Amino acid sequence: MKARMLATHLSLPVLAIAAVGAPSHAADYDWMKFKGKTVTFLANNNPVAQALLTYKVDFEKLTGMTLKVDGYQEQQMRQRLVTVMNANSDEVDVFMTLPSREGEQFAAAGWYADLTTMAKNDVAKDYDPAGLSQALLKAATFNGKLTSMPMNLEGPIFYYRTDIFKNCGLEAPKTIKDVEAAAEKIKTCDSAVTPFVSRGLKPAVAYTFSNMLHNVGGTYIANGKSNLCSAKGKEALETYSRLLRDFGPPGVVNYSFQQISALYRSGRAAMAFESSNELRTVMDGGARLKDTGLLPFPAGEAGQVPTTIGWGMAVSSHSKQPDAAWYFVQWATSPEVQKKMALQGIAPPRPSVAKDPEYRKWIDEEPVRKEWQAALDVLATKGSSEVGYPIVANPESREFIGQAVQDLILKQKPIDQACADADKALDALIAQK
Amino acid sequence: MSDSAATLTQDRQKLEMAALSAPAVIFTVAMIAFPVVYTIWLGFQTFSSTGKQSFAGLANYSKLISDYEFWHGLWITIALFVLSLVLQLVFGVWLALVLFHAKRLPGIVRSLFISPFMMPPVVAGMMWLVILDPSLGAANYVLQSFGLPSSDWLASPSLVIPTVALIDSWQWTPYVALIVLGGLQSLPPSVYEAAQIDGASPFKTFQRITLPLLLPTIVTAAILRSVDLLRFFDIIYITTQGGPGNASNTLNIYGFRVGFEFFNIGYASALMLTLTAIVFGAVLAFNRLRGAVAW
Repeated sequence: MKARMLATHLSLPVLAIAAVGAPSHAADYDWMKFKGKTVTFLANNNPVAQALLTYKVDFEKLTGMTLKVDGYQEQQMRQRLVTVMNANSDEVDVFMTLPSREGEQFAAAGWYADLTTMAKNDVAKDYDPAGLSQALLKAATFNGKLTSMPMNLEGPIFYYRTDIFKNCGLEAPKTIKDVEAAAEKIKTCDSAVTPFVSRGLKPAVAYTFSNMLHNVGGTYIANGKSNLCSAKGKEALETYSRLLRDFGPPGVVNYSFQQISALYRSGRAAMAFESSNELRTVMDGGARLKDTGLLPFPAGEAGQVPTTIGWGMAVSSHSKQPDAAWYFVQWATSPEVQKKMALQGIAPPRPSVAKDPEYRKWIDEEPVRKEWQAALDVLATKGSSEVGYPIVANPESREFIGQAVQDLILKQKPIDQACADADKALDALIAQK
Repeated sequence: MSDSAATLTQDRQKLEMAALSAPAVIFTVAMIAFPVVYTIWLGFQTFSSTGKQSFAGLANYSKLISDYEFWHGLWITIALFVLSLVLQLVFGVWLALVLFHAKRLPGIVRSLFISPFMMPPVVAGMMWLVILDPSLGAANYVLQSFGLPSSDWLASPSLVIPTVALIDSWQWTPYVALIVLGGLQSLPPSVYEAAQIDGASPFKTFQRITLPLLLPTIVTAAILRSVDLLRFFDIIYITTQGGPGNASNTLNIYGFRVGFEFFNIGYASALMLTLTAIVFGAVLAFNRLRGAVAW
């Protein structure tokens, strides 16, 4: 299903949303308008926020405001948000959000302030709202309301060890079948390394599995019903779980990005399917800088339909100072700040930044960065933001996808039972209003 | 001073004392009562995925009865509780005896023995997650160094509960040992002198004197650990998040996920109140046991 297919947006913003058109009074923009105010930012302590907050002082100097950062790991950040929003509290002004995960849910709950008007009427001259990825803006628009501004562009990509591939006489894989064949060969050719690793932790599986499902031509929903037991659904489940069971590390059912990055960085995995955001972590120490190749996940019968998402910055609907909060959102998603973040390895959601000479120079410094950018270009043009079921209960749907994959990895159920159990639970979720 | 004047002064003093302590009492009662009453109220509400709220009566509680995950979580909670408690009581008593009899043990060694429980559970969880990693962890490296087969530890559905119980026991056995050590130090020496005169062997002394006299202390330690073990959360959340599959999905983890990941606060409240009732039941049972073994 390509319902949320991200169109060609890096070079051709054809899906431009009228709401974020030309600024109306940008020339006389007063950054000091809210001097003395304090904006509270609920942040996910991930590389995106870490890179952004390097420049916290710049924001405070520019606006005279104080930025109070409330930083947590991803899941803890959501828990804090749920508590704050359920209490209708104004403690949080700005928060990070993943529209692909919780967008429908938070929008339906009324937790997002509508940024449409602010993005149209209250922007600095150099903000260039139309320069942001129009597809990501579209993915953050629910019922005609713009709910967040894109901070980055990311998705799972395929990391592989060029030296091991060369030693084992392998070419870079072009298809999913090539990946399996390569894993099989590496298992005998270089028994010291784990041939393939990807996410096996239940709630984390959907992020990478969705790419597999879409590549083989599967869909999560058909005719209003969960579709994991379709031929394509079963093929994706079997292939993904087989790769992890037969070629993955022991204990892969507890693997998420931290374990995958650590395993690959230490040189103990030949292929890893993990987030593009992990490039900096994987390259940390420099050991993998010269022996890593990067690709979008190899094609299935339906070609390459990579998963492409982006973190967004949203203003809380309970904020008592949405205009001041917007100033922070605007600064954080401005071309200037996004260029600085890009130079720290955060893929920019702005085509103009991706083409910036300074950024291109940084990209050209290392071949692996060139491949990373090339993979991101494919993500940007061919990607789908569908991670898990496109329903309000998306986070819960990911549990059942993960459960089916784990059942197969651990051989606890045959494929027909694993997918049927998942479909039954997912049908109940789909039926929920 | 007449009787009536003295009574008046006493009444006034009582009134003043009541007035002075009232803010603290009201604050304490409110701090305890409000969350409990609020949770009870939430347990009668239903929240849609979008956060919309409506009165549900006892629907959340009737849902518990048919919820497989609830019964599974209850079973996991009880299994973990029993296994961890037995390990911690057995090794806690043993460690206390070692510390009690090893009078010359340097202070630093004693401190090391009891240091694990001073470590935040999140840090302990992260540490053991790294040690027990089947690919990169030290545990399998050590096993393999001795020619033993490696293990999946936290990634194996059949091993995850014993492994988590071992981690918790590593952390909390010293705490039990400290309590028991306090009990040992307060035992009357005359009983031991009598046993010595009667020629009782060390084992018989332990079996017939030390253990029966220590039972009230051991039950106290059991009560304190039971409350924590039935609410077991942090180490599981850090190491497995309830997995693999749902093999370590305790009631607490399940309720947390239902509430904070799936936003069904009403059902999560019902789950947590049920767990609270179980904890209360266990504490009451242990209290009765303590009464029975008191000397």
